[in-house]
Amino acid sequence: MSISLPYRSADDAGGLPRLSPAPSLLHHRTPSSSRTSLRQPSLANVPATAALFPKPRKCKSQYPRDSSERHVEYILVASFHIDRGPIMEHQYPTAISGDESMLAELMLPDQTHVRSQDWTIFFLHKDTSADADDDASISSKKQKKKKGKRRAGDGAQSTEGDNREVEDSTEAEDSSDDEEEGGEGPPLMYVLNLVNTKQDNTVKRGAVVKAMAICTRHSFLHIYKPLLLLALEDYFKNPYPETLATLYNAVNNMDLSLMPRLSLLERQILQASNCKDMFIEKFEQMIHQRLLEDGAPPDDEDDPPSPKRQAPPQYALPRDTHEFESKVVYNEIPIPVKVPTVIWPETVGDFSLIKLIQTFSAPHNSSPQAFPVHPHLTTSGPFTHPIIVLVNAMLTQKRVIFLGHNRPSGEVAEAVLAACAIASGGVLRGFTRHAFPYTDLTKIDDLLKVPGFIAGVTNPTFANHPEWWDVLCDLPTGRMKISSFIEPAPVTEGLLYFQQQASLHHYPSSSNTDPSGDNVFMEEIQRSITNRYGENAIRAKWRAYIMKFTQLAAAFEEMVYGASNLFIIGPNEELSPESPSGVQADPLDPTTLRGHGYVWPDEGAKQRELLASVSRIEGWRTTRSYYSFIQDIAAMYYPARPILKPDLLHHHNRLRALRLSAADSGAIYIAFAHAVKDYAGICQLLTITPENQAGLFYISMGLFHPYPPVREATVELLERIAAHPAGRHFWAQLNRFAKLAFFRIKRERDAAAQSSSFGLGTGSFGPQSLVAVAMGDA
Amino acid sequence: MGGSVSKIMGKIFGTKEMRILMLGLDAAGKTTILYKLKLTNQDVTTIPTVGFNVESVTYKNVKFNVWDVGGQDKIRPLWRHYYSGTQGLIFVVDSSDTNRMEEARSELHKIINDREMKDALLLVFANKQDVPGHMSPEDVTQALQLTKLKDKLWYVAPSVATEGTGIFEGLAWLSNNVKTQPQK
Repeated sequence: MSISLPYRSADDAGGLPRLSPAPSLLHHRTPSSSRTSLRQPSLANVPATAALFPKPRKCKSQYPRDSSERHVEYILVASFHIDRGPIMEHQYPTAISGDESMLAELMLPDQTHVRSQDWTIFFLHKDTSADADDDASISSKKQKKKKGKRRAGDGAQSTEGDNREVEDSTEAEDSSDDEEEGGEGPPLMYVLNLVNTKQDNTVKRGAVVKAMAICTRHSFLHIYKPLLLLALEDYFKNPYPETLATLYNAVNNMDLSLMPRLSLLERQILQASNCKDMFIEKFEQMIHQRLLEDGAPPDDEDDPPSPKRQAPPQYALPRDTHEFESKVVYNEIPIPVKVPTVIWPETVGDFSLIKLIQTFSAPHNSSPQAFPVHPHLTTSGPFTHPIIVLVNAMLTQKRVIFLGHNRPSGEVAEAVLAACAIASGGVLRGFTRHAFPYTDLTKIDDLLKVPGFIAGVTNPTFANHPEWWDVLCDLPTGRMKISSFIEPAPVTEGLLYFQQQASLHHYPSSSNTDPSGDNVFMEEIQRSITNRYGENAIRAKWRAYIMKFTQLAAAFEEMVYGASNLFIIGPNEELSPESPSGVQADPLDPTTLRGHGYVWPDEGAKQRELLASVSRIEGWRTTRSYYSFIQDIAAMYYPARPILKPDLLHHHNRLRALRLSAADSGAIYIAFAHAVKDYAGICQLLTITPENQAGLFYISMGLFHPYPPVREATVELLERIAAHPAGRHFWAQLNRFAKLAFFRIKRERDAAAQSSSFGLGTGSFGPQSLVAVAMGDA
Repeated sequence: MGGSVSKIMGKIFGTKEMRILMLGLDAAGKTTILYKLKLTNQDVTTIPTVGFNVESVTYKNVKFNVWDVGGQDKIRPLWRHYYSGTQGLIFVVDSSDTNRMEEARSELHKIINDREMKDALLLVFANKQDVPGHMSPEDVTQALQLTKLKDKLWYVAPSVATEGTGIFEGLAWLSNNVKTQPQK
């Protein structure tokens, strides 16, 4: 019953931002997830029959066997010519369009002559018009689809027509191709490059420098590293296009077709979970489907011959569902590769947030240096933690340079990629697209045309040009500098508003030395690193940080401007300060619980925290990532929120953060039990109760509620969660105490039902209309 | 530690610091000169510079931060990014490469006519004096049309970089002529 978004659409779901309505989007996307016609997005109304979670019709592959999309699109070889500098030697299968010498320069990073091996990553903004010669068919197909998409927005009629058209054509999977083209233009081409310098006395000037690069649209390009090592070595022996062809064919024969495609919510759950068998059912189903297909006569001859199909198929389940294990056979050597099942937007290659944080934390902790104050950046004063300065710089779209003099260019590239991931949190977009993981002086003029770039360089001359950057992050010393040329932050409406408010109310802000909470947050992050929490845990914490930032921004906008672009309020929700959270709008419907957004313990705390972040929020409100986020919110509204009312996140946060009265908390539990029923709904609930934030603990507290109907509603909810393929893992992690209570209440309920059904409802909570209504419904 | 000691010594004895940019056509011997300065008595074998090298050399109380930038014609347009803050230009010519002397002259004049380089000292190494058929320092001066330069302190030093001859003499000229401007 999943509305599964096509792979990686989170990346770009701003696909049709200007045609606001998400419903048409959903219509359009539906066929790509299931072949049967699923007309209504009526997810919330699926009958909770005995088969609560009907088997999904058919599990789709993220990388279907018959997809026209190749894993790797180009292989390039460049070398440093002693008279002419960097030149391109070979390109396979065809010449990649664009400036050849620029590519060759990128492939031969500065100072590559002082080390025998170096890796770099860079991105190409390859527009579809340029590859007209080589894959004209694909681009024309995309054109057609785009037109279809545009029409889809016009009305349901044409959408239906389109659906049929797409269904009839080859396979719906193809329609995912154009999903990648978000509101920001065509997808990036990621380039992984290996350069070797070999001393050789037989050649003029004593050395040969050659580089080989793989160009792919997959952001997990690091899996190709071992292959590049082998292939470049081969190329030194056989400097012919055939060597490139061998590599090209090998990598494109990699079989990932058994990797299931997950919905947006499923991906969020998997990513936040440490369970190694989360969604293993999907992998099982993929294999099951494959076995059925294999039994039938093969109907897809034009398949690339996959190694798995030649041998008698032995399909193994992954040991960890976060990764899909496959292999690439290069020159008859099988090289194992692990492809991540879930890739967040803005996550490219393998980098370490821990490494980035440690690099800039250590010098700051031992001898902090004062930054020149800039409202967007130094949000906790001159001694703001450098990582916070970096994140602020990226959120407010400043020009950021990572400099690693005498470091391999791969190291600066990793820092840039980590910075993109930290600022994105998998929530915001628009960083990698303006990132230059490795660049050099040759591109400086183009670089300076990009507002708010994030670039990695090894040439220390960048440090001598403060007019080129706003923030310079020096990797060898772990110090950051704010440029003396940085543009001052403008005074904005929101800032004035908050200054007025602050002077009116006199919130005791001076007593609090860390109003933004960033110092505490950074301490916690560093403690987690010291305690070896691991990369995933750190990424999850940053994700939460960025999520919170967007929620703060939404609260800020509602406060200052009366409405926010960053949140689509649910049905029967009113945007007015007089509509307090927790009020049930419709007395007959427990799910109409009002309230949304971030939860503060009290008004003073809200004011203080917002005041501390006003400048960076205002700085963010004019950036690319802000506008992309608004697009994403519109596009993600239905896929990410099968339950429109109540706002699960908000009310779950109320359970966590507030001391609610029994009636208030009871209303939340009853509302949840009413709203969260089907597969997608439970997924949505699970996304807001990740393991690292106490899991189902706050839900399970409903088992101890003073009102029996609340307890019973919680039992029902937990029963459904426990039967859910992902929910069962969450259930298993619930503490014993809660489980005992669960079984006790269940026993009591069953006993009561057996004896007579009249005993219920006469409890001490008569006047509580909410609960009474809920009971009537139950 | 060592750095801070020499900083104190510098305050007492007035150590100067000088940003030097070393340019020249490809294969003129820039990198060899740089590493001969840095690693005085060792043999130096170099390979073409991809991008740049930068090293600090202290000589006669002057700390030279020497930037050596690759010389292939395609990457010469990048030289200008290194100009700002440069106090001395070392221009290296291959005295035996008479065919490219005109090319060297044109590149040199482009550099020193740049606004950012107007105050920089100019030291020319007439390198590869050991190769048969080389031009003398005087011939190099002629070929580079140095006498035409107005308001410019310049000096041509003959050198054999691979043997280390001549290069410290060149450096001595730089340190004697740099304007005393104690660095922070």
